[in-house]
Amino acid sequence: MIPDLSQMGEGNTQEWAPVNEAPHIMLEHVTKTYGSVIGLNDVSIAIKGGVTGILGQNGAGKSTLFKLIVGRLRPSSGGVHLFGTNPFKNPAPYSRIGYVSESEHLYDWMTGLDFVATLARLYGYTRDEAKEKAMHVLDFVGLSDVANKEIGKYSKGMRQRVKIAHALVNEPDLIILDEPLAGCDPLARTTIMNVVRELGAMGKTVLVSSHILSEIERITEQIIILHNGRLLALGNLHAIRELLDQHPHRILLRTDNPRKLGTAFLPHTDVYGVRFPQDHELVVETNNLSSVHQALPKICRESGVRVTGIENPDDNLESLLGYLVEGRA
Amino acid sequence: MIPNEEPPPPPVDSLGAQTPISTSVPQSFEHQIQAATDAQQAQMQAPPEQMPLGAPDAPPGAAVAQLQRIQASAAQAFRPLTNTVWSKLDRKATAVAEFTLRQYRTKNSTWVVLGIGVVFVAMVLMFYGEAMATGFESIDNDGDSEDWDGDGYPTGQERKYNTNPWDGDSHPDPNLIPPDPPEKWIDEDDIDWDGDYSNWNQGHDDDGDCTGEGWVDSDSFELPRNPDRNNDNIDCNVHYSMNSTTNTVYRINSDPNVDEDPDDEIFLKESLHRAFVLGFGKIGFGFLIGIFLPLFLATGLVRDEIENGTLHYIMGKPIARAEILAYRLLGYIAMVWPYSTVLILLTGLITGFLAPSESVFRFHDMSAWLGILLASWLVMLAYGTIFCTLGVMSQKFGLWIAIGLGVWEFAMAMLSLAAPNFPLTWLSISHWGIEIINCTSIFAYPDQSYMIHMAGEISWGSEIALSGFYSPPSVVSGSPFISLLISIFVLLTVTIGSLFVGQSSLKNKELN
Repeated sequence: MIPDLSQMGEGNTQEWAPVNEAPHIMLEHVTKTYGSVIGLNDVSIAIKGGVTGILGQNGAGKSTLFKLIVGRLRPSSGGVHLFGTNPFKNPAPYSRIGYVSESEHLYDWMTGLDFVATLARLYGYTRDEAKEKAMHVLDFVGLSDVANKEIGKYSKGMRQRVKIAHALVNEPDLIILDEPLAGCDPLARTTIMNVVRELGAMGKTVLVSSHILSEIERITEQIIILHNGRLLALGNLHAIRELLDQHPHRILLRTDNPRKLGTAFLPHTDVYGVRFPQDHELVVETNNLSSVHQALPKICRESGVRVTGIENPDDNLESLLGYLVEGRA
Repeated sequence: MIPNEEPPPPPVDSLGAQTPISTSVPQSFEHQIQAATDAQQAQMQAPPEQMPLGAPDAPPGAAVAQLQRIQASAAQAFRPLTNTVWSKLDRKATAVAEFTLRQYRTKNSTWVVLGIGVVFVAMVLMFYGEAMATGFESIDNDGDSEDWDGDGYPTGQERKYNTNPWDGDSHPDPNLIPPDPPEKWIDEDDIDWDGDYSNWNQGHDDDGDCTGEGWVDSDSFELPRNPDRNNDNIDCNVHYSMNSTTNTVYRINSDPNVDEDPDDEIFLKESLHRAFVLGFGKIGFGFLIGIFLPLFLATGLVRDEIENGTLHYIMGKPIARAEILAYRLLGYIAMVWPYSTVLILLTGLITGFLAPSESVFRFHDMSAWLGILLASWLVMLAYGTIFCTLGVMSQKFGLWIAIGLGVWEFAMAMLSLAAPNFPLTWLSISHWGIEIINCTSIFAYPDQSYMIHMAGEISWGSEIALSGFYSPPSVVSGSPFISLLISIFVLLTVTIGSLFVGQSSLKNKELN
């Protein structure tokens, strides 16, 4: 019923594994426990190239996965390989990666330029080289005009971007972004998404995590879904979407006259039911979401009922996860 | 696809790390975007993993790759000397150390701790200055300034001219010899500080009451005059006996009336000054500043970064965790060493001008101050490394262990002062710091033991000030130089040992 969504299916390995070189990231049956709490449960992935979105609710294991990849944590069992080496013991591959953690903490007393340039010197650049490179990446993320301002005075979006800038200063092959859009305003969100897409266009391997489906959808089509520490799905978002569309789906409409509008929906072939959960609310149940969505404006207009709001309660991560978990069960 | 004028990709070392070449223009993002866009256009059907052109392993063509390899090796051959592995190491070290220094600058706790140190030193210096400015009333140690019979002539003068000091009618002729003021017979025979310590011979009869020069001899007064009662074949001197293994004077034997009425002010001020240099050096600089600065400034060097969740910024770079700990400590050292140097040398300078001295500035304390400086450096290095390691090892209990260690160190420092030979004190840092000062102060004050004994003989009580903070080297008695080397070795070994413990603890630490 759900092809290739099982853990580390054979087909997926073939599709994702590199052709010439060892994958940038390879996890082999990695489990990470914190005492009795399981952070990550028997996860195997190989990633090289492209932008990959890591999707999961809070506590699903996204950050744990990233921390294992960058060598902040040691796996309880299994093997983590970063450019073919064990990242926990060996800092050498760090020269090829850029890691943006979820941590909100920054050195607020430094200016953006200072922050990026100081950390760039840890790659072995001279003071001047580091400064030049720092200016360059700050320009790349659109912070060049505030480069000499203290980070403490930055907005949330600027802070996220300066974190991204510091991770790009070594021109890495692999960039790991842990919740880069968290807490950003829409403008900063767009800027960061553009940056990520641009990095992908440069041929970098990019990993982005988020708990919001629509965000990831705007960045990439390759996704990995984590749930309760398990690798739930791995593949193209559209494939998953299509599966989802053929599954029972609900559309919530707010209107003055739900009964009249509900009657107008019933003749549609893909609608198999309507419900009225509350006053002024109508829920349309369908097996084919996109076809109903297409027909929706016309039905509303023809019925002459005023619609004040449309919601897609199933178009979020929770329902996707619910569906996938259900499907697996 | 990649234009020919574009610089070759950086050479890749065995670890896969890109070595930056300062002579080549760094490959910019624009270039990469352009290259990637070209690549996308050319390889529309290719899977995404074949696209990255920025990666050094994906050359667009064999010939170009060959050319790039040649260019890269040429660049490597002409790489300037400033770009070697070692210079990369320096760059990381200076970057972390400089960052640490700048971070200290932004923290209020740094300024508070350093400020308290300055205030503490300034206050002690004020007490010292006041003590040096206070005059001491001279004591007539041999009682010869008194005029017992009321004839106007002090006893000393009557004895000199062979008249009876107890008979008011017996005195020199006032027309020929006017009576001396009593002050003339106070401090009339001072201790001589310029003696030859290697010959165990010291002293000089300043007032002539041993040599008898200018004295009117009589049968009633100390005849036959014996100017060499201590039988050392030198007339009118002070002979002392010294244990050459412990460098301590155990007996002083003077010829009659030599150095019998020293200048109390000189002696007391000299005693106080030495007590200050040794006491403040050992307790103030060697211990208190030596332990409090590291406790407040080094404990959080790595621990605070872990707690704040900012360590990954540094740790996510191609730099070993062990290096981070070492370079953070380097930053700490770069702050506290100059600080203690300035404080100690300034104290040495101020006391050098205020101290009793024949010249304007008292130079011969310098070896004592340099010893204190050395002790302070090594003690702060050792404590700093230990506290930093404790912070890494146990974030929760590190501070408590550090405080417990501080109490232990204080007890051992006190014990080192009271009983320098007690072997338990060898298990502390403070003992070895104090031992360094012991070893070097013996060069500054070779006559200390003599002075202590002298003070004891004359019963001033100032021997407590002299001996309270003084002890000869106790590790290898009689060899201050070897003791000094052993002390330095012990402190460095402790430092390196705790550095290794801290490094391996950090290496195995998970950073959540």
